[in-house]
Parts: sequence; structure tokens; C-alpha cells
Amino acid sequence: MAAAVDNRVRSLRQGEKNLTQQELADVVGVTRQTIIAIEKGRYSPSLEVALKIARALDRPVESVFWLIESE
Amino acid sequence: MSFQEKSAWGTLFCQLIVGSLYFSSIWRLWRADQLETETILGLSIGFLVLLIIILSGYHIIVAALSRGAGKKDERDRLVALRAGNVSGNVLGLGIVTVILHIIVGGGTFNDPLWQQPAVIASALMFAVFLSQLVELGTTIWYHRRGL
Repeated sequence: MAAAVDNRVRSLRQGEKNLTQQELADVVGVTRQTIIAIEKGRYSPSLEVALKIARALDRPVESVFWLIESE
Repeated sequence: MSFQEKSAWGTLFCQLIVGSLYFSSIWRLWRADQLETETILGLSIGFLVLLIIILSGYHIIVAALSRGAGKKDERDRLVALRAGNVSGNVLGLGIVTVILHIIVGGGTFNDPLWQQPAVIASALMFAVFLSQLVELGTTIWYHRRGL
């Protein structure tokens, strides 16, 4: 069974936090391209970066990132 | 586009041009039966200096125009690691191929082509060139398509 990581970084970032990709990248300590890749599902971040993103968005990590499993 | 991706595109483009010029010169010399180790050494140094000058200029311009140039995060490091891994495999395959040609072609079948140091050196240089192109291509692929 294969598993991938999905997220709702974009919606949370654009929602009540109203952060730009660059602002979130600066807070987390990654490049804007990495935030873009995470939002598009092209990159699954490390646990450290996932936790930093969740903290920047004031959400528990499991409500920002979750596993999707497929056969 | 990140600085690392711009760097990979520029380096790939420059290496393709300079490498093509270098190997076409080697090919012409070999066809004219003038390929010697001294000639290869001179050509290699000349083209290497040319490549360094072009790439230095390119990277200075790109760095001046890019925000956070040179800053690498975990994704950039992972891309570099995976591209380096693929490139290492290509280089290893190239070196083993050349070794087999030396042993089988030059040794067992006494092929004079694979007994010439200049030809062997050029074949090894080509393996290095190819592995570099694969590394840059893979870097661009991972940046654009994801990991």
C-alpha cells in the first residue's frame, strides 16, 4: 500500500493568517520555491519543516499535513 | 525559478556548448591522426579555463538578480543528493565500460585503438562530461517535477 502526504498549507496561509509564500518561507527558514512545491504536492517536507509550518499557521501539524493511502 | 535551478540551467547550457566544442576538436584531431596526450592536456586546460570564466560570469549575474542566492534549504540539498547519486552511477558505468574496452579490446583482441593513452583519456573525459550533464539534467528535473 503506497502512501503520500497531502496538505492544506495554501488555504491556511491565504486564510486568516494572510501570509505570502515568501513570508511563510522566511518564518519557516526555507526558500519560496520549497513552499510552492509543498503547496502543489510536489514535495513532502521533513518533520521539522512540517512542524515549523504548522506552528507558523497556528495549527496542529495533523490538521495541516495528513497521509493519503492508495492501493 | 530558484537560484539553484537557474544555476543548473546555465551550467548545463554552457557545458553542452563548451563540451561539444572540446569533443569535436578531439574527434577532428583523432580523425587526422594527431591526437596526442600533450594535445589533450592543452585542450583540456584551455576549455576548462573557458568554462570557469563563462560560469563565473553567469553566476555573478544570476546571483545579483536573485533573492537569497546561494541559500540552500532541505529540498535543495535533497535534490543535489539524488542528482549526485544518479550522476555517480552514470560515471561508474562509463568508467567500467572504458575499463572493459581496455581489457577486452586492447588486451584480449589487441585492438590498437584501446591501447592509446589519448583515446582512453578522451573516453574517460567523455564519461565525466556525460555524468555532469546527467547530474544537471536530473537536478532540473527534480526541481520542476518534484521529489
